Amino acid sequence: MKSLKNGILLMIACMGMQTAFAQMRSPLSVNVDYSIAQPLGSLKDYTDKTSFRGWTAGLQYHLNDRLSVGLRSGYQEFFQKLPRAVYHIDGGEISAVQTRTLQVVPILATVQYQLAKPDAAVIPYVGLAAGAASMEYNKFYGEFSDKYDKWQFMASPEIGINIPFGKGSPLLFNANVQYSYSPYKMQEITSYNVIQANVGLRLHIN
Amino acid sequence: MKRVMYLMSAMLGLAVSISSCSKDPLKNMTDEESRIYVTNRADSVDFTSYKTFSIADSVAVISNSGKDERALTDYDKKLIADVSAAMVAKGYTLVGKSAKPDLAVNLTRIDNTYSAIYYDPGYWSGIGGYYDPFYWGYPGYGYYWPSYYQVYQRERAVSIDLIDLKNPKNNELVAIWNAMLRGSGVWDIANVDSMVTAVFAQSAYLTTSK
Repeated sequence: MKSLKNGILLMIACMGMQTAFAQMRSPLSVNVDYSIAQPLGSLKDYTDKTSFRGWTAGLQYHLNDRLSVGLRSGYQEFFQKLPRAVYHIDGGEISAVQTRTLQVVPILATVQYQLAKPDAAVIPYVGLAAGAASMEYNKFYGEFSDKYDKWQFMASPEIGINIPFGKGSPLLFNANVQYSYSPYKMQEITSYNVIQANVGLRLHIN
Repeated sequence: MKRVMYLMSAMLGLAVSISSCSKDPLKNMTDEESRIYVTNRADSVDFTSYKTFSIADSVAVISNSGKDERALTDYDKKLIADVSAAMVAKGYTLVGKSAKPDLAVNLTRIDNTYSAIYYDPGYWSGIGGYYDPFYWGYPGYGYYWPSYYQVYQRERAVSIDLIDLKNPKNNELVAIWNAMLRGSGVWDIANVDSMVTAVFAQSAYLTTSK
C-alpha cells in the first residue's frame, strides 16, 4: 500500500511540474491491456500452464515528449489441476487431485521512455516498474485448501509500442512485453519469474 | 485532479470486479476429485512385527450433534468387509478378538457437518465409549493418539485406525496407523471400494513381509 501512496504523491508532484512542452497529446494517459503470462523457472514446478486470465492497467504522466512516470496494477491468475496422485507428507501420504492457483496483483511505480517523437506512426518505448505484489497462493488437495497470502517486492522491465489511431490521436493501440521478477518463496516456488504479453489501448485524457 | 481520482476509483472498481471472476477451483469439481485419502503412520513401528488382526463388528458414528452411536448399515458392512479383505491381502490374518490379535481395527464415521468445531485427536477420547479398550480386552485402558495423528476437519469423514494390542504403554493402547477419508461422497457405499483400495495401496509399508 505504501508504494501506491508514494505513486500517487509522485503523480501529484508531477502535475505541479506541468511545464510548457510542445505536446501533441495531453500529458496524462490511461491504459488497459489484456494479459497472457507464461511462468518460468521454479514457478513452472508449481504451475507450468500459460495463464490467459489476466489484465493490466496503468496511468502515465508524461513529463516531456520522451519521459513519463506512472502507476500500474493488474491481475494475473495461474491455474493448474493435476490428476490424482499420492503425495508424501511428514509421517504419511495424501492421495489427492491437486488444484494449484496463484493470483498476483501488483502495484508498481513505472518509468517509461519513448524511443520516437509523439508524431511518429509507431512509438516504441522501454519501461521499468517496481513496487509490491500481492501473491495469493492456494493449493487445493481435493476440496481442501492450503492457502498463503503474502506481499512481495516486484520489479518488471518492459518493452512496447504505442500506435496512434491517426496523427495526434489521443487514442493509441498498445502492445508490450513485460518480464516480472519477485523474490517470492512459497513451498516449491523459489522465485517468481513470468514473461507477460499485453495488448490494449492507451488514452490521453487530461 | 478530481478526474484523476475518479479515474483511479474506476480502475479500482474494474480491478475488483475482474478479479472476482477468478476461476473457482471448487466449481466443476467432481465428488471424486474433491476427496482426499490421508494416511498417517508411526515412524518407529515395524509393521511386519504384527501378524494377526481383529476388526470391530460395527462402525462408530460420532457427530457434533451429540448423537454418537455404533451402526451397522449396508455401508458399514461393506466398509468392514473391504478393510478386512485389504488387511488379509497385506498378509495379516483375521482372528476373533478373543484370540489375542496383534492389531485392532477401529472404524469411525465422523459427522461434523453442522458446526465449525475442529475434530482433533484430543476429542478422540470420546470414542472410548464406543470402542472402549474393554472391547479389545483391555479394561481400564485408554487410547494414546501420538503426535503424528494430525487430524483436523469439519465435515463428514471416515477414519480407519490400526491399534497396537501387543504393546500397550502406560495403560494406553497406541494407534500406529490411520487412514482418513475426506471430501464429498465418503459416506457413499459406491465409493467404499476405491477409497479402501487407495489407502492400503499408498501404504506400502503396511505388510507382514519384509
